[in-house]
Amino acid sequence: MWNDEIQERVNQRITYLSRLFLIILILLSFRFWYLSVLQGDWYKQKSEQNRVRIFSLPPIRGSIYDRNNQVLAEDIPRFRLIFEKGGVEVEEIEKRVERILGRELSPPFPERAVGEIILVDQLSMEEVVKIEEAQNELPGVIVESYPVRHYPCGEPFAHAVGYVGKINAEELKMLRSEGYEMEDRIGKTGVELEYESLLRGEKGYRRIEVNALGKVVGVLDYRPPYFKNSVVLTLDRELQEYSYDLLGNKNGVIIVGDPYTGELFALVSKPSFDPQLLSWGMSTEEWNALSQNKDRPLTNRPLQAIYPPGSLFKLVIATGALEEGLTGRNRKIFCPGFLDYNEWRYPCWRRGGHGSVGIEEAIAQSCNVTFYTLGLELGPDKIINWANRLGVGQPSGIDLPGEKTGFLPTPEWKKRQLKEMWYPGDTINLSIGQGYLLVTPLEMYRVVSSIATRGEVYEPHILKKVLDSKGEVVREITPVLQDRIELRNETWESLIRGMEEVVNSGTGRVCRGLPVKLAAKTGTAQNPQGEDHSWFSGFFPSSHPQVAFLVLIEHGGDGSGEAAQTARKLIEWWEENRGGKSGK
Amino acid sequence: MENKVEDKAMVLVLIALSLIGVLAVYSVDPLRGEGWGESLFSRQIIWNLIGWVAFLFFSQIDYYQLVKRGWLWYFLMVLSLGAVLIFGEGDETGSRRWLFSQSVQPSEGAKVALALFLAHYFSEQRESFDFWPLLIKSGILSFIPLVLIFEEPDLGSSLVLLVIWLGALFVCGFSAKKWAVIGGIGGGLLPLSWVFLEDYQKDRLLSFIDPGRDPLGSGYHILQSQIAIGAGGFTGQGWLSGTQSQLYFLPARHTDFIFASWCEQLGFLGGMVIIFLLGLLSYLFLVVALHSPNLEGKILASLLGISLIFQWTVNIGINLGVMPVTGIALPFISYGGSSLVVNLASAGLVYNISKSGGKESWKLWI
Repeated sequence: MWNDEIQERVNQRITYLSRLFLIILILLSFRFWYLSVLQGDWYKQKSEQNRVRIFSLPPIRGSIYDRNNQVLAEDIPRFRLIFEKGGVEVEEIEKRVERILGRELSPPFPERAVGEIILVDQLSMEEVVKIEEAQNELPGVIVESYPVRHYPCGEPFAHAVGYVGKINAEELKMLRSEGYEMEDRIGKTGVELEYESLLRGEKGYRRIEVNALGKVVGVLDYRPPYFKNSVVLTLDRELQEYSYDLLGNKNGVIIVGDPYTGELFALVSKPSFDPQLLSWGMSTEEWNALSQNKDRPLTNRPLQAIYPPGSLFKLVIATGALEEGLTGRNRKIFCPGFLDYNEWRYPCWRRGGHGSVGIEEAIAQSCNVTFYTLGLELGPDKIINWANRLGVGQPSGIDLPGEKTGFLPTPEWKKRQLKEMWYPGDTINLSIGQGYLLVTPLEMYRVVSSIATRGEVYEPHILKKVLDSKGEVVREITPVLQDRIELRNETWESLIRGMEEVVNSGTGRVCRGLPVKLAAKTGTAQNPQGEDHSWFSGFFPSSHPQVAFLVLIEHGGDGSGEAAQTARKLIEWWEENRGGKSGK
Repeated sequence: MENKVEDKAMVLVLIALSLIGVLAVYSVDPLRGEGWGESLFSRQIIWNLIGWVAFLFFSQIDYYQLVKRGWLWYFLMVLSLGAVLIFGEGDETGSRRWLFSQSVQPSEGAKVALALFLAHYFSEQRESFDFWPLLIKSGILSFIPLVLIFEEPDLGSSLVLLVIWLGALFVCGFSAKKWAVIGGIGGGLLPLSWVFLEDYQKDRLLSFIDPGRDPLGSGYHILQSQIAIGAGGFTGQGWLSGTQSQLYFLPARHTDFIFASWCEQLGFLGGMVIIFLLGLLSYLFLVVALHSPNLEGKILASLLGISLIFQWTVNIGINLGVMPVTGIALPFISYGGSSLVVNLASAGLVYNISKSGGKESWKLWI
């Protein structure tokens, strides 16, 4: 039965089998070596990713203070309720939380990360306590604090300070390299945007070990978020608020600052908006109502709105005429109440005329005929040159986003754009700050403040100091002398005396009798929208100016009225509360 | 009679494997802290004890007498597998694999029973080796238990039976021409067999081809197992350390993927110890087959060797991500009583063959 042939063959097959086995063994060992030794590091990383979840904690933004260290913007903590899915069903947790808080939740809950939902976005302190007490019933439920922006001063500071909001897709695209992520807050306007990099703060993170069920096993690593810098502004909270209230229900602008440093004490734009609502998120309807409001509450008027300057521009004409030698202390121009030119009659604002007036009186009385005459003598090109020289039509370099410049019309422009030649009538209009000419309030503030300093032009700014997280000053802003306008001394004297006379005997008599000697100029700007805009801008004390100011009230009537009255109250407040010194 | 070197070696290797099995189960035992009766490793110890009794028992019984009763084992096998399909109890995967309140898994026993039966069947017809009728008859007889197991469903075990049958054809010297025909038919039927696969089995096969296909679903096992082994590196993350297995990322970490858990803790070195021991044991099985003085012993030892080799290389291949997940346990190491007892029993059989045809063994009483 048992024969050698079969045995031989079977043995041979068993030998084959062991060889095959050996090959499999070697292949397996190679694969094993490859996986555990050659690729070990890669898989170690994978295994880390498996078990470790990183939660990034939003940075705490630096605060914004006024010059007297009053808070203008700060982060305050809010609490929200997070649920890590995995254990109890969401519906069950929802029921329990509703019972504990005694209020209804509103599903569906937004999923913040994989397996993580936000049950309640805003918890009161009492609710936080309730949740913490019932922690045993709520596995996977976490109270998480997160910072929100608080603007204690609200509307008066909305434009200057700005507001923060969730980063949008475009911003994220641009800033991803700087570590921004979805849901991050970012400055949208004002100081919040301008000094975003200082205010932003550093993110924290929490590295958590989880098991395959998503259950948290432990915290591996925690770095709290922190803020890097706070900023102190040159703005004066009380002055700003007072100024804002002074405008009442009128729209307008108030700028107050130190002409010798460029510091701004007040930068008011009205109408305004509630920065709180914007940074905490508003509905689309609310946003549309705000952004499409015809009064343009979102526009930061001092630097973003353009107006005809009206008689305020006469300061530019006067400067040009004085410097070009067209007028001086001795030249008087007769004003019969109008100027006839090429069969057209251009009226002075005073029907009866001013009679024979010198340049200083012309400034004081804002005599149109004088400036028509000087303007015609200067010609449009020189007018534009002098306007440029005084900083009209040029960005001031203020440390706020979105600054616009006004518009200086030239004959070339008119030819090119309107296909019309420049008529003497255009020059006449330009001479009294009307026609095509448009300026921003900040530009005119700069003109006036340059007169106050007799030609020293300081860059306007609202950042005063940068503090570190301990409150130590790490940077103090020093005045930047941008430009020195070299004019003859007599020119400065005439301009300032003229402006002093505005208050003493001229169009700004409303401000007469203030405890401090004031130099100013009124402006009444006709505009197509309705009643004239009312300008009033000047500085005090006129002999050694410490404060320059500009008031613009939209549709406020003539400059000698509403704007001047507002300025008077402003100066009175200043003298009473700031003791005639710049700053406290 | 004096024991041969390979017999001593076999016993030593088996002892080492048993110990490693208990340690490996201990290291991933989620109920480690629950006390003696509750924990998985304590049960593994008890099954080891039972398994060693089985080893001693079968090493002393004349295997020749067992082979002679090949048909008896065959009918018992088919009967119990049929019973599983009728009375069987499901486990957590939804397959019916158990009898007697989840204590006995007949598909494990079937692996030895079929080997015994085929050893008998082929050695009875040694004159018909390499003839078609024997091939076809043995094929039909093997496919009956195979299909019954496949129906449970237990793809892994039915593949083991298939390999045992193919192994029998191979060992008994079926010619290359017939292998080509079988290969051809098998290859032709392969697409057809797709129809019979359960959805989850198809998923596993597809995931094997492309583990990234569904990393949280069916590709999960493959990926997590490779991560565990890779993260273990050369020396491992340390005993009872390793986040893949300890934090449950690795599925079936005490059964089918126990090798990966072991390697995460003890690295390439630790894994090679298991591969070395199982390799040595497999080699010893084949040596016994080679040295067996009779055909019954040769066939039986080779079939048990083939079954062993297939199971452990496929299991480790799955763990290493080079073979599709088919649900095959790692012999001697994976948690599970039936498999352990059956494996030790078959080692006992081989040990008995080694002792020169069991001439000094006890006579069978059946």
